[in-house]
Amino acid sequence: MSDSDKRTISLPVLGEVSRRTALKAGGATLGLAAFAAAVSPLAGLRGRLSAQELMQRHYKELSADDKAKIFERLENEAKERYGADVKIKDPKAIPGVRYGYAINLSVCNGNGACMEACHRENNHDRSTNQSYIRVFEMPIGTTDFKHGDSTYTHDVPREGKYYLPVQCFQCENPPCVDVCPVEATWQEEDGIVVVDYNWCIGCRYCQAACPYHARRFNWKEPQIPAEEVNPDQGYLSNRIRPAGVVEKCHFCLHRTREGRQPACLEACPTGARIFGNLLDPESEIRTVLRTKRVFVLKEELGARPTLFYFFD
Amino acid sequence: MAIQAQQARPGHLVSYPRFLWRSLVMATDGSLAFYAWMTMLTAVALVGANAWANQVASGMIVTNMTDHVSWGLYIANFTFMVGVAAGGVMMVIPGYLYRNKEMHDVVIIGELLAIAAIVMCLLFVTVDLGRPDRFWHLIPGLGRFNFPISMLTWDVIVLNGYLLLNLHICGYLLYIRYLGKKPEPRWYVPFVMISIVWAVSIHTVTAFLFSGLGGRPFWKSALLAPQFLASAFVAGPAFLILTMFILRRIGGVVISDRPIQLLVQIIRVTVLINLLMLCSKLFTEFYTGGAYSKHAIYLFFGWEGHNALVPWIWTAIVFNLIAAVLFLLPAAMRSVRVVSIACVLAFVGLWIEKGMGLIVPGFVPSTLSEMVEYVPNLTEWQVSAGIWAFGLMIYTVALKIAIPIMRGEERFIAPVEVADDTPHEPPADQPPAGEASATDQTQADPPERDSGGESGRSP
Amino acid sequence: MMRGRVLIPIVVLAALLMSIGLVRIMAGAGASPRSEFLAATMSTETVPDETPRWLVEISLPDGPPRVVTDRVDSMGRAVTVSCASCHSNFDANTSRRSADEPPMAFHQGLTFQHGNLSCVTCHNPDDYNALRLADGTRIEYRQVMESCAQCHAPQARDYERGLHGGMTGFWDRTKGPQKRKSCIDCHDPHAPKFPSMTPTFKPLDRFLEPTRPGD
Repeated sequence: MSDSDKRTISLPVLGEVSRRTALKAGGATLGLAAFAAAVSPLAGLRGRLSAQELMQRHYKELSADDKAKIFERLENEAKERYGADVKIKDPKAIPGVRYGYAINLSVCNGNGACMEACHRENNHDRSTNQSYIRVFEMPIGTTDFKHGDSTYTHDVPREGKYYLPVQCFQCENPPCVDVCPVEATWQEEDGIVVVDYNWCIGCRYCQAACPYHARRFNWKEPQIPAEEVNPDQGYLSNRIRPAGVVEKCHFCLHRTREGRQPACLEACPTGARIFGNLLDPESEIRTVLRTKRVFVLKEELGARPTLFYFFD
Repeated sequence: MAIQAQQARPGHLVSYPRFLWRSLVMATDGSLAFYAWMTMLTAVALVGANAWANQVASGMIVTNMTDHVSWGLYIANFTFMVGVAAGGVMMVIPGYLYRNKEMHDVVIIGELLAIAAIVMCLLFVTVDLGRPDRFWHLIPGLGRFNFPISMLTWDVIVLNGYLLLNLHICGYLLYIRYLGKKPEPRWYVPFVMISIVWAVSIHTVTAFLFSGLGGRPFWKSALLAPQFLASAFVAGPAFLILTMFILRRIGGVVISDRPIQLLVQIIRVTVLINLLMLCSKLFTEFYTGGAYSKHAIYLFFGWEGHNALVPWIWTAIVFNLIAAVLFLLPAAMRSVRVVSIACVLAFVGLWIEKGMGLIVPGFVPSTLSEMVEYVPNLTEWQVSAGIWAFGLMIYTVALKIAIPIMRGEERFIAPVEVADDTPHEPPADQPPAGEASATDQTQADPPERDSGGESGRSP
Repeated sequence: MMRGRVLIPIVVLAALLMSIGLVRIMAGAGASPRSEFLAATMSTETVPDETPRWLVEISLPDGPPRVVTDRVDSMGRAVTVSCASCHSNFDANTSRRSADEPPMAFHQGLTFQHGNLSCVTCHNPDDYNALRLADGTRIEYRQVMESCAQCHAPQARDYERGLHGGMTGFWDRTKGPQKRKSCIDCHDPHAPKFPSMTPTFKPLDRFLEPTRPGD
């Protein structure tokens, strides 16, 4: 009782130091120590996570000066962690260009060279054979993926089958962009949907929103042998991604914005892939749209892909 | 809370810190049972924290999530807890809107549950982030907030708004009761009214997170938001009934039958609405069939030999049906046992139905019809259990502070020299030691019951 | 009194919530599922473009191929000879048809599976260093694609438009050249069916079990 009497008139901060309080303080200290021990694995991140990286602003808010510094930092990190000398550049969308892609399904034989080229070009994790492209073997007569298979390993092409490569369609109305809570992914002037790997928080809402399984998450830090690192890197495209962020096909913008063909197209031994500028009426891609009966996947969803399929 | 600062007179400069200090003391004083309970929760929470730290350090590869099933147990728990938070409103509506006296006396139990549940929601989202270090990108003004386009930004707003509303309401009421004064309606009634609408909004917006995804036919249903609400208004009240039973049974807290009966009556309606919506959903999925039904087929019957979710969903259906029958029995108005069993079954059943039974089948088969199944692994269970334990700690502590104050057992006594308008009468009977420990046990118990349910859910 | 005052924020909030839904719906309704690029292909507008363009290089044979014989030289390598070195002495077997009996010794390893053609449908019996068209016109080996185009007009047309055949280099020829394969880079003229291939690369998805029943 005397305790409570004292309590009522004492100032809060000068509360009585009873045995109980001391015990509580001890308990709290113990608890804090236990908590510190519990989260100690986070210490492993020290050295991997610089203050500059933590404070880095969104891509669109960076000045040329900021970018130069960031690219240098990333190049140093690539050297440090992967032992590779890389060059990071940031090519801008070419005015008057909107990219389109078409795949000739009469010709594609499912050999998967595009997947492998993507894997190498884009510095994907070697241990998971990650790639932005998946090729499905489909029975002739259906476009329902229920009957498709991406895991085939037999010789191709097989009788009665056709092959359907799926990658990001760079939709005109991309559902993945709308859902991003932090604007870490957006559509560029040339139609390519890009991700700022240093802004993405890794909530994976965009993966849920994409109707085409086009987005990939970096479940761990990619492993790439130094000699296999592609040194020709774009900040918004194929630079080595950090763990915990989402990535996706970017039509090899570090190549295509310099006028070159995407890696998957060059690798295709069947010539099934046609790439070009949708705004140029003379371009090959426009000729496909004009002369072939093209279709897109899941057109009813209204995402309006700019990668088209056709049969000869 | 800001409002209290505005109206601060000299007295509050003394009494408010005093209130906070006493809250801290009350939160940490207790019986052996209380300490045991809190120690256990702390241990579980620490295991969770450790699992999460490992997940951050090694990458989310340590979970069983994949590019095919990119959300799992975390988001499942998140979705369910939003419902529990919203469910607390079923005490607020009769308590404030219909001036139900008995409900009004215990309504704070529901409001505190909302606080604990929302904190859990925020934690579940955080542990699901691949880059928690970039959390600040989500803060309006600091980062880039894709508002109003992204539904997730709406969710950030409504969840934090709901948290603030309830913190304000509870904080204000407790502080005023602590001062021994009568709460002024203008400082809390408008917020209560907003919180009622807000409770609906948090679950509607959370449903829109999913139903707004055109590429996921399993979720793209106009029924999703109403279904979320109906199930929330079962799960929330069910948890509150259990809490009140426990508070009452252990003694120390007098709660009449009326609020419990009212909640049972509410559940009698909502549980049927929920079942009706389930039937409606099942009919649309299965009567015509077609490609979009493959998720439901996978969930209920398995697909090409993949049937990881089949036992889960049928458990949920059976639990929900039994719970519905029990709630509808006349005995539900009298028998503590019947209602308790019904509440536990409903709570667990809905946890499955809205968690594993809703989030995971949306991803299986994938958008390209690939069959990658998902079962949470140890890391995910550890992290989730840790968050549950932390939420229960918050709820226990909050109740421990709130109940003595609301019962008038804990009062502010103004120091003589700064006495102004604060009441001068001596403190209402200080709780004798025995009663205090009874109260402690009271608060120690509700989560206990719940944790039983949780471990029951773990495979 | 109290209720009237609290009703206002409720109504405002409800209106706000409804407006979200409306905005979403309207945004959806405005979006036509038809691509504007598909529509654009119907229009006749052309953009005058005077920018000089790089050439398209097509990999074409320089001259007549060498034929592998059954002889080996001192190093163990197969001896190759020009067509004319034998056929100036021997008359060609003009009756030989595709997919007939195995080719004779001098055409080692040659599979001949090309419709119902005979050797001299394409090879010029009057000059084995050249080819010939169906009307007998002599063409050089470099012009082999003209020979192919006689029968495979749709492919030739697509090739001309850039829709058939592999390529590397630049899509934008104002920036760099394009290298294109010729018909015979991918299609062996004696057995033009594209060969069967073995996939070399598969993504390793965790938990995605290989293949479906019946495969």
